[in-house]
Amino acid sequence: MASEKVTRRVKYKTSVKDPGTPGRLLLSMEKLIFRSNSQNSASKLDMEFRFIKNHKYTKEGSNKAPMLNLTSSQGVSYIFEFESYGDLQVCKEFVGKALSKPGDTPKLKDTLEAPSEQPSTQDLLLRMTLLQENSELQKLHKEFVSNGVLTEDEFWASRKKLLDGVSSRKSKQRVGLKSVMLSEQATFDSRTKRVTYSLTPEVVREIFAEKPAIHRAYLKLVPNKMADKDFWTKLCRALYLQREKNINVLAAEAAEDEELALFLKPDEILACETRHKIRCVDPTLNMEADQGDDYTHLPDHGIVRDGGKEVSESQSEPYRRTLFQDLNRHSAVVLEGTTVDEEHLKDTHSVAEALARSRQADKEADANKERFNRPQLMELEDLQPPKDHPLAALCIKDPRDYFDSQQSSAYKTSRDASIGMEPMKCNLSTQEAYGSLRDSIAEIKASGLMDPIVAPEVAVKVFSVLTHNISSSRYHLGKNPRESILDRLPASIKEELLHHWVSIQELLRHYWSSYPITTSYLYSKVTRLKDAMSKIDAQLQELKESLQSDLRHQVTLLIRPMQQALEAAMQHYDADLQKRSAKSGERPNGYV
Amino acid sequence: MASVPSKLYSDDVSLVVVLVDTNPFFWATSSLSFSQFLSHVLAFLNSILLLNQLNQVVVIATGHNSCDYVYDSSSASHHGVENRTIPALYSVLLQKMEEFLIKDEKLGKQESPGMIASSLLSGSLSLALCYIQRLFRTGPLHPQPRILCLQGSSDGPEQYVAIMNSIFSAQRSMVPIDSCYVGAHNSAFLQQASYITGGVYVKPQHLDGLFQYLVTVFATDLHCRSSLQLPRPAGVDFRASCFCHKTTIDMGYVCSVCLSIFCKHHKKCSTCGSVFGQAQADNSAVSDRKRKAPET
Amino acid sequence: MPQVRIIAKNFMDMVASLPAMKLDRLYHNSFICEAILRSLPPLAKKYVLQMIYMEGPFPAKSLEEWVLADGFSKHKVAIDRLIQLRVFMETTERKKETSYRINPTFQSNLQKHLTSGGVLPREPMPSNITVRLPSLEELDAYALEQWECFLLQLINSSQAEKLTNFSSSMIRVFQRGLLSQRDNKDAPRLTESGFQFLLMDTNAQLWYIIREYISNSEERGVDPADLISFLLELSFHIMGEAYNMNTLNEIQRTAIKDLADLGLIKLQQGRKESWFIPTKLATNLSVSLTDSSTRKQGFVVVETNFRMYAYSTSKLHCEILRLFSRIEYQLPNLIVGAITKESLYTAFENGITAEQIIGFLQQNAHPRVAERIPSVPENVTDQIRLWESDLNRVEMTLAHLYDEFPSRDVFDAACDYAREWGGLLWEDSKKMRLVVKAEIHMQMREFLRGQKQ
Repeated sequence: MASEKVTRRVKYKTSVKDPGTPGRLLLSMEKLIFRSNSQNSASKLDMEFRFIKNHKYTKEGSNKAPMLNLTSSQGVSYIFEFESYGDLQVCKEFVGKALSKPGDTPKLKDTLEAPSEQPSTQDLLLRMTLLQENSELQKLHKEFVSNGVLTEDEFWASRKKLLDGVSSRKSKQRVGLKSVMLSEQATFDSRTKRVTYSLTPEVVREIFAEKPAIHRAYLKLVPNKMADKDFWTKLCRALYLQREKNINVLAAEAAEDEELALFLKPDEILACETRHKIRCVDPTLNMEADQGDDYTHLPDHGIVRDGGKEVSESQSEPYRRTLFQDLNRHSAVVLEGTTVDEEHLKDTHSVAEALARSRQADKEADANKERFNRPQLMELEDLQPPKDHPLAALCIKDPRDYFDSQQSSAYKTSRDASIGMEPMKCNLSTQEAYGSLRDSIAEIKASGLMDPIVAPEVAVKVFSVLTHNISSSRYHLGKNPRESILDRLPASIKEELLHHWVSIQELLRHYWSSYPITTSYLYSKVTRLKDAMSKIDAQLQELKESLQSDLRHQVTLLIRPMQQALEAAMQHYDADLQKRSAKSGERPNGYV
Repeated sequence: MASVPSKLYSDDVSLVVVLVDTNPFFWATSSLSFSQFLSHVLAFLNSILLLNQLNQVVVIATGHNSCDYVYDSSSASHHGVENRTIPALYSVLLQKMEEFLIKDEKLGKQESPGMIASSLLSGSLSLALCYIQRLFRTGPLHPQPRILCLQGSSDGPEQYVAIMNSIFSAQRSMVPIDSCYVGAHNSAFLQQASYITGGVYVKPQHLDGLFQYLVTVFATDLHCRSSLQLPRPAGVDFRASCFCHKTTIDMGYVCSVCLSIFCKHHKKCSTCGSVFGQAQADNSAVSDRKRKAPET
Repeated sequence: MPQVRIIAKNFMDMVASLPAMKLDRLYHNSFICEAILRSLPPLAKKYVLQMIYMEGPFPAKSLEEWVLADGFSKHKVAIDRLIQLRVFMETTERKKETSYRINPTFQSNLQKHLTSGGVLPREPMPSNITVRLPSLEELDAYALEQWECFLLQLINSSQAEKLTNFSSSMIRVFQRGLLSQRDNKDAPRLTESGFQFLLMDTNAQLWYIIREYISNSEERGVDPADLISFLLELSFHIMGEAYNMNTLNEIQRTAIKDLADLGLIKLQQGRKESWFIPTKLATNLSVSLTDSSTRKQGFVVVETNFRMYAYSTSKLHCEILRLFSRIEYQLPNLIVGAITKESLYTAFENGITAEQIIGFLQQNAHPRVAERIPSVPENVTDQIRLWESDLNRVEMTLAHLYDEFPSRDVFDAACDYAREWGGLLWEDSKKMRLVVKAEIHMQMREFLRGQKQ
C-alpha cells in the first residue's frame, strides 16, 4: 500500500494560540508520532490512533493556517499546523482512514497474531487508569509491551481480574417505578364528560405488575379473543366504574359481560399470594410480618376498615375494593422495583410477555429460597447471638511479601546447612521406648518435680541469651521489627532485585501458560519470552558481579531461586525444541 | 508482614492449649529426659494458672499413634486423687498421661525399630482447634486462646496436608500457634505454623533451662504481646511436601485446579481428578510445570 | 461532706500504702503473694514470673530490651507497681545502672507454689460431718440475694425486705459518701458518687465496701493487715466446700459474721460443729483486683423511641433503673421502662448527671446491642443531654449588691473598678445599683472606702 506511511513537516501545538514546535509528523496506520526538530525539546508525541476520538481541520480558503486537530478519548487536543493545504489534505485523508477502522492495527503476519477481541474503549480507558494508578504495573507494561515481548492483549489477559474488579464497581442502576397511582392518572374532561386514560407502556407495566389477574387475562385473551384496543377500553371502563364506586352499575354490567367481570373480581392471584404469606408467618409472636400487609380482603382476617359506611348489598361485595388494598399493592410493586427492562417497553404485548417471564423466574427463585428457609423460624434478631465467629479475612499475600520471607529463609538455610531431614536413629524397641516413658512418669509421681526446676545460673543464662537475641535482632534490623534481609541491602539494589523478580514472575507466568505449544502464535510468543528471560538472567549475573564481596554473598542467595526458576524454563524450552525438531523430520517445517 | 490481623485484647485472661509430644522414640534419643521435660512443663502449666484465676490450661498428648486430651483445668476436679508428694494438678495429669501411653502403645503396629518416628501433630492440632472452636461458641466472654506446641520429634511429611489445613484454620480463627521445639533440628512445620498464625517459634539452646524459656517467652499473654518484642526466627522453611510421595520438595508441579502439589508429572490430579495435558498426551515433558505455589 | 473517690482498683493502693514492715510480713503468707501477683498488671505478672528462679539483682536495661516502643508506658506502670508493692526492690549500682531484685520471701513462696502446687489454706471438712451442703447454684443465688439485700439496705433502708445484721453505725460508715442527708426528716439521697457506686459491677462494689470495712477496722481495734491477709486467704478457699470454724482465730471469727452478711460466705451449724462455706463472691475477691474484672454481661436495650428493655431479674437493677426512668412493667426476666423528661428531671434533681446515665446505659448495654455503634441510640443520648442542659439555664453566682451611692461619680468609678476586676454582673445606672461577684467583694469594699475619703 502506498499510503502505509506519511511523513510531513508540521508544527505541533497544544492549543491554537501556541506558537508551536516545529518537527516532523509521522503517520502510520496504527499510530502517529511527532518528533521535534530540536534535539533538546521535550515535546514528543507517540500516540496510537485508537486513542483518538475525532479529528477536525481548517477548511481551505478560510484565512486560517492549515491545521489538523485531533482529540483523544480523554479530551486532550493535539493540533498540528501544516506548511500547506496540500499536506493537510494528505494527512486528513490518512487520519480519516486510520480512524475509520479503529484499533484495527495492521497485521504484520496474520498467522502470528492471536485471535483476540478488540477491547472496547471503556476497557482501554480502564487499562490506562490502572496503569496510571499502579506505577509497578506501568513499569512492567513499559518493559514488556513497549519492547514487544508481550502484546497488549497478552499483558492484560493475565490481569482480567484487575479489570473486572474495577468495572464491577459501577453496577448498573435499576430504574425504579413512579409512585403515582394509576387512578390518579385519569384526566377528566368536564365539558365532554369523558374520562381519558392515557396508556403508555409504563402505565401498562404498572397495571400488569399490580394486578396479576389482568395480566393473566391479557395473555389469555389478546390477541386470540379480542383486539388489544378492546381489551384496554374494557379495562378502563371497569376501572372507571370502580373509581366512581358505582357498584350497582358495575354489578349489572358484569352480569352481562364476562370479560368485564373478570376485571372486577377480586384478584385471585393476589389473594393466593397473601394466603401464602400468612402461612409463612411464624406462629410465635412476631409483629414484623404483618405490619405491611393488609389481609382485610380475605375472609376472617383483620378488621373491615371502612366500617359500615360502604357495606352495601352483599351481591356487590366482590366488586368492592378498599383503597387500602390498592395502596398496599401499589407500594408493594413500587418497592419490588422494575423487573422489566426499559428496552421492553415498546408495546403492550411485549410488556406483558416480559413481565410474565420475570414472574416465572421470581417464582422459581422463591421456591428455591423456601426450600432452604422453611425449617427456620423467625427469630428476634436483636437477641440472637452472632452465628459466625470473627474470622481473619482470607488474605492472598502480595507476592512481594512472599519473595521476601522465602529469600531470607534461603539465606538462613544456607547458614545452618543441614535442616531437618536427618533420620533419627532409635535403638530401642517399641516396648522399651514406651516403658522408659512410663518410668519417667512414675519417677515424677514418686519424687515430685525437680527442685529447683531451673538452677538460678541457668535461668540467668537463658534469660540473657534471649535478651541478647532480642537486642541483637533489634540492632540488626533497625527500628522496624518486621524488617528482613532484603531491607539490609542498599535501596537501589533492593529495588532492582524486586523489579527483576516481578518481571521474572510475569514472564514465567506467560511462558508456562503458553505450553503446550499448539499454534505457531504460541511458538513465537515462547521464543519472545525466552529471549527476554535470558536477557534478565544476564542482568542478574551482571548485578551480582558488580557488587562488593560482602553484599555479593547475600545477593547471590537471593538471586539463586530466581535463576533456578529461569533455568528450569530454559531447560524446558530446549527439551521441547529438541523434541520438536525430531518430529519435524516427519513433518517438514512443522507448523511454524 | 503481619500474618494475622492485629486484634485488640482487652485483658490477659487466656486459654493455653499445650500439645505435649509423647513420642517414645524421640524421648529415647533426646538429651533431655522425659521426666525433666515434664517437670519444666508442669511448673509452666501451674504458673499459667497462677497468673490469673480465670486462666485455663488444656493439655493434649501427641503420641506416636494417637493423641488425646490429658488435662483440662476447667473440668478437673481435685478430689479423689490423694497424693502427698505432688499436688493434684500434677497427679491428675500424670495419671491420664500414663493411661494414654498404654493406649497409644497398644494401637501401634509392630514396626521395625530404628524408623524415623514422627508424632501425630496434625491430630493434636485439630483437637486443640476443636476445643477452641467450642470455646468460641460459649459466648462473647471467653479467655483468649492460644496453642503451644512442645514438640521434639521430627516432622512427618505424610502429615503435611493435614497440618497445613490446621494451620490455616488456626489463622482464620485468629489463634496463634506458639512452638517450642526441643528436638535436634528445626521443624519446618512448626516454623510455618508460628509464622502464618503470628505465634512465636523458639528452639531452646539450653534444654536444662526449658522452664525459663517457657516462662519468658510463652507465658506472655496476647495482651502483653502488643507491647513486648518476642523472639523472631531469622528465616522460615516454606518448602512444601508433595502430595504423592510426601517428600519435601523445592520445585514441583501444582494442579491448576486444586493447587495440589506433586513432585513428578501425573496424568491426573490425585486430589481433584482433573486431567492434565490432554492436548499433548504423547509428550509428557510438556506439561504445566510451574514454580512452586506460594503457601500463603 | 468528705469527697470519697470511688475507684474500684485502689484496694491494692491501700495494700501498697502499708508500712514496709507490715508489707514484708504479709508476704510470708503464700496466699497473699499469690493474690498480689494476680492483682498486678499483665506485664508485671510476666516480669515476676520470669524472675522466679533468678537470683541477685538484674539490670533494668535487660527488661527494657524487650519492650516495644508503644508498650513503654505499660512497662513503666508495671515496674512502678512492682516497686510500690515491694515485690521488686530497686537498687542503683555503682555504675549508675538501675537494677531490680525480687523480694526473696515473695520469690520463695511462688517457687514453692510452682513445685508443690497450690496448697489449700485449710482442709475442707469431710463430707460425713457436714450435712446438706448447698449446691453451687443455691450458693450463687444465696450470695447474690445477700449482696443485693445489703445494697438495698444501703441505698434505701425501707425497701429492703430483711435487714442485715450490720449495726446501724456500721451501715452509716458504708453510706458515708454514698448518701447525703440534708436534715434528719429528709430521706437520705443518693449522691453523685453513690450513683457511681451503683453503676459499678459487683466485684468493684464489693471491694469498695471491703475497703471501707478495713479502713474502719482500726476503730474497732483490729489490725488492717490481719484483715487484709484473711480476706485474701479467703479467696483461695474452694467455693462450696465447708470449712470448720474452729480453724479461725478470734479476729477472723468476728469478721466472718460480717462477711456472711455481705454474702461472701454462708454459715451453717451442724450438731456439734459449725462451718462456713465460701461463695463465688469470696473466691472472686482476688480476681476482681485485676483490670480484667470488667467481664460482665450487660442487660439493657434502649430503643430510639426512648423505651428501655432490661433483661434482668434483679430487684436492684430495677431500683437503679427507677432512678432515671419510668418503669412500666416487670416480667419475670424483663423490666420495661421509658426514659421520660419527668423521670430524668428527678434523676437530675438527685444530682445524677446525664453523662452518668448515658455511661450506665452504654456500659450495661445488652451484648447484642453492645456490638452496635452507638450502643445507645444517638437521639436518646442527645435528648438526655439536652434535657440536662435545659435545667442549667440559670447559673448561680454568689454576689453582693451595692446601692445608695453618694454620687454618680462614685457609682461610675465603682462600676469601672468592678469591670476591671472582671466581677461586674449587673448595673442599673438610673437607680445607681450594681451587683458584683462575691470574690471581689473585699477589693470593692477597700475601693469604696478609699473613695469615701
